Amino acid sequence: MNAEKNIKLWSTLGMRATFGLIALELAKKNPELIITTSDVSTSAGLDRFKKQHPDQYIDVGIAEQNLIGVSAGLSSEGFKVISTTFSPFQTLRCCEQIKVNLGYMKHKVCMVGLASGLVLGNLGFTHCSIEDIGSLRSIPNITIIVPSDPYELFKVLSEAINYRESVYIRLTAGSNSKIINKKDYDFKIGKAVEILPGKDVAIIGCGNILSNCLDAAKILKQKNIDCSVINMHTIKPIDNEKIKNISKDYSLALTVEEHNIIGGLGSSVSEIFSDQGSNCKLIRIGAEDFYSTGGSYDYLKNIYGLSTEKIVEKILSNFKQNEK
Amino acid sequence: MKIVKLKNFAKQVRKNIIYTAYKAGAKSAHIGGALSIADLVAVLYSDIIKIKKSNKIDENRDRFILSKGHACLALYSALVEKKLLKKKDLETFESDGSKLLGHPIINKIDGIEFSTGSLGMGLSLGVGVALAAKKKKKNYKVFVIIGDGECNEGSIWETILSASHFKLDNMTIIVDRNNYQQTGKNSDIMDLKNLKSKFASFGCDTFEINGHDLKKIYSVLSKKNTKKKPKVIVANTIKGKGFKLFENNNNWHHSVITKSIYKEILREI
Amino acid sequence: MKNKEKYIDIFVKSLAIDKKKFSEKLKYNDIPEWDSINHMTLMSGLEEGFNITMESDDIIDFSSFKKGIQILKKYKIN
Repeated sequence: MNAEKNIKLWSTLGMRATFGLIALELAKKNPELIITTSDVSTSAGLDRFKKQHPDQYIDVGIAEQNLIGVSAGLSSEGFKVISTTFSPFQTLRCCEQIKVNLGYMKHKVCMVGLASGLVLGNLGFTHCSIEDIGSLRSIPNITIIVPSDPYELFKVLSEAINYRESVYIRLTAGSNSKIINKKDYDFKIGKAVEILPGKDVAIIGCGNILSNCLDAAKILKQKNIDCSVINMHTIKPIDNEKIKNISKDYSLALTVEEHNIIGGLGSSVSEIFSDQGSNCKLIRIGAEDFYSTGGSYDYLKNIYGLSTEKIVEKILSNFKQNEK
Repeated sequence: MKIVKLKNFAKQVRKNIIYTAYKAGAKSAHIGGALSIADLVAVLYSDIIKIKKSNKIDENRDRFILSKGHACLALYSALVEKKLLKKKDLETFESDGSKLLGHPIINKIDGIEFSTGSLGMGLSLGVGVALAAKKKKKNYKVFVIIGDGECNEGSIWETILSASHFKLDNMTIIVDRNNYQQTGKNSDIMDLKNLKSKFASFGCDTFEINGHDLKKIYSVLSKKNTKKKPKVIVANTIKGKGFKLFENNNNWHHSVITKSIYKEILREI
Repeated sequence: MKNKEKYIDIFVKSLAIDKKKFSEKLKYNDIPEWDSINHMTLMSGLEEGFNITMESDDIIDFSSFKKGIQILKKYKIN
């Protein structure tokens, strides 16, 4: 499928509809692929998959603990399994099943967490996810990837399905997600992608929120601050080399994530910064460990300092021109 | 099916259980719950489950999952009788780096299908494995033993719903109904009342038997499963069965067999 | 397009909009009902209605009612 041709329209399809399309493509090449889900066929864009590959589609109903158990059982018998439901239920509801069946016993399952982060803000925090990375990060043998846009999701899934261990794929943003990757590029699990070079400040982001990072960098360019924007799609195993270099080459770095600033991208980068004894200042932007009142996606991004303006403000108030 | 063969197998399983527990010494072991399934495991492994020692994992073996993982002494003991494990492996039970711990560790070559013991999880793996058989058009069977205390877990009922919804007639689930759990009687802690009717109402083909009557166990296990329905056998058992000291004495849920106790109970076999 | 009536009918039903809101100039994302998830429901509805299976590329290209007419021609629906 020649996806590069219409990246623009592709991205406007949004992560979930894209996931449905990719699943169909993967099913053609992988007869042993099985999609397991907890009653979310439509909202995962899987209607067509269900109709065209009924015997490769298993719905266990709204029972996420059984979802992981059944997926692991199928995987132990040689099937390639992608499980999917909304991210809080795909990760926290069945966390111990993920630990025992996937982390401890190393059965391989790709888990796709729909609508993670803040996009479902108008449903309240029962349906938002700012804790999923933090909780899974502490379980060995689980890779965690946050695709930046639908086009990257295509690359992530194609690689994850044959990757050596279980992968949690965290989908962010809604129907009209922003385009991050304008043209084709090399994607490799664990390898960060510098989508915008810049020598003054390093903005490290993951997920579709990277579009605000790019917008912020554009604004700061006019204020003579040259920002680099790095797509750190793989939280675990994270790109150690890239972070070590940032800790040496920059005086100010930011992490930007639709997640608690505890336990996610920010914590991962801080851990490496502290190993390095770096004197680069790191600011973690994200949910500051509290549940806000609900509302629109933009409303919540603003509250958690994730809007373009707030990112610009944070850099302006912390970047010292004289150190250039 | 020769009843003598079953009796000997069951006797040997019980001997291996107390031998292993005794060798574990101060590290202690789950004894009561292993002895309550000794006869069930004996019949399964002597005449029902198709499995044998080999250096390659046999794709067509029947899969046995001990979802109530803490009763693993019974599993290990049966695997020794089937030559998948050696007697001296039992002596390493719970020692540093051992492959035989207080709960089973996944080791398919030796006949241990999954790392179970976090209650309520093995049965769900069983549904996945049974579904895989249907999809691959294989006719191996899946046997799962769950505990009655384990039925406190919601995940058990999620899984039973799916087993019957997916019409998994290649699955046989045995409930070890010994009426006790970790700290006391089921009825005191969380009364399960009538389990057979619960499983029946969830769409399973259900039976209730004396879990120590070898003939009854054999006949219900060898009977062909009803089409499109998982089979559930509620086996009424006695925790600690086989040794007066242990029977219905929940102190032996998890405890130490000292040299003197070992000598005393050996006489009862 | 002789199947136009049926084509419009599937559009209206899949996107769950009333006829008044429908127009032949409708484009993807013009109205909230035609978002990415309902796009998939529309594609599924067209496939069932006309007994065809569309390629992923065509589903991505299917950006308006008019464009849809060209795409359906590829599957011999006109």
